[in-house]
Amino acid sequence: MIGEPLFDARSIADRVAAIGAAISNDYADRLPLMVGLLGAAATFLADLVRAVTIPCHVDFISVNRYGDGDGIVIEKDVAIPVEGRHVILVDDTVDTGLTLQYVVKRLLERTPASLAVCTLLDRPHRRIADVEIKYRAFEVPDVFVVGYGLDYLGRYRELPALYAHGTWPA
Amino acid sequence: MSRVPFAHASEAELARLFDFYRIEWQYEPRSFPIAWNDRGRAVEFFTPDFYLPEYDLYIEVTVAKPARNTRKNRKVRLLRSHHPCVNVKLFTRRDVERVFSRSMKRAS
Repeated sequence: MIGEPLFDARSIADRVAAIGAAISNDYADRLPLMVGLLGAAATFLADLVRAVTIPCHVDFISVNRYGDGDGIVIEKDVAIPVEGRHVILVDDTVDTGLTLQYVVKRLLERTPASLAVCTLLDRPHRRIADVEIKYRAFEVPDVFVVGYGLDYLGRYRELPALYAHGTWPA
Repeated sequence: MSRVPFAHASEAELARLFDFYRIEWQYEPRSFPIAWNDRGRAVEFFTPDFYLPEYDLYIEVTVAKPARNTRKNRKVRLLRSHHPCVNVKLFTRRDVERVFSRSMKRAS
């Protein structure tokens, strides 16, 4: 179901290093709080925090899936208070932008000093909520991507590169 | 939502997704003229399926197979041409399926 990588491990490492350098420059002396949106962003965030050259704090947040309950809610909240902090929300893929916008709104209610979005993949084809993305590693076409933390029915997270999967999960 | 006479199940599914995200939506709230006769009278209209006020965005859902989307594509093209300030997106059946596919994994 998967063939040649869309982006190989070297390309990913290069983009992570570039984003890490940009964050290090943009947030010098500001101790950013990097918040990973679970669960596929964990791999990206783990590499990203090692690519920045400034001190930073790390936390995670997650939301429920469509079909679990009547509406979207935060399932696992951040443990570190975001009030007054410079928050960088790290996502794996921005598609419609609806989940990202929900999380951004919930975090902004807590009056951080600033909030920026960083994503591994930007897939703008079906974008509804036009959330500003400050850092993006790759823009991808309308394909389902696996590897580097992204799964297809629980598989392929361990792959070091990003691959287009032949089908979308039903 | 249950009282809305959706034309197709895909529209009802999309409405449920908007409800999940607590996004305000309106079903077919407005018709736009897209063709006029030689006396300047509108003779053809296009009514997008959804309007999302928060995003000032109209969404048209088409359930036809890609090869048969020509009619919808023409209407969307005319809408954009005659009403350039109107933001409209065409969601194909595949788009709807993929939004749901991803939303079931985690909300998209």
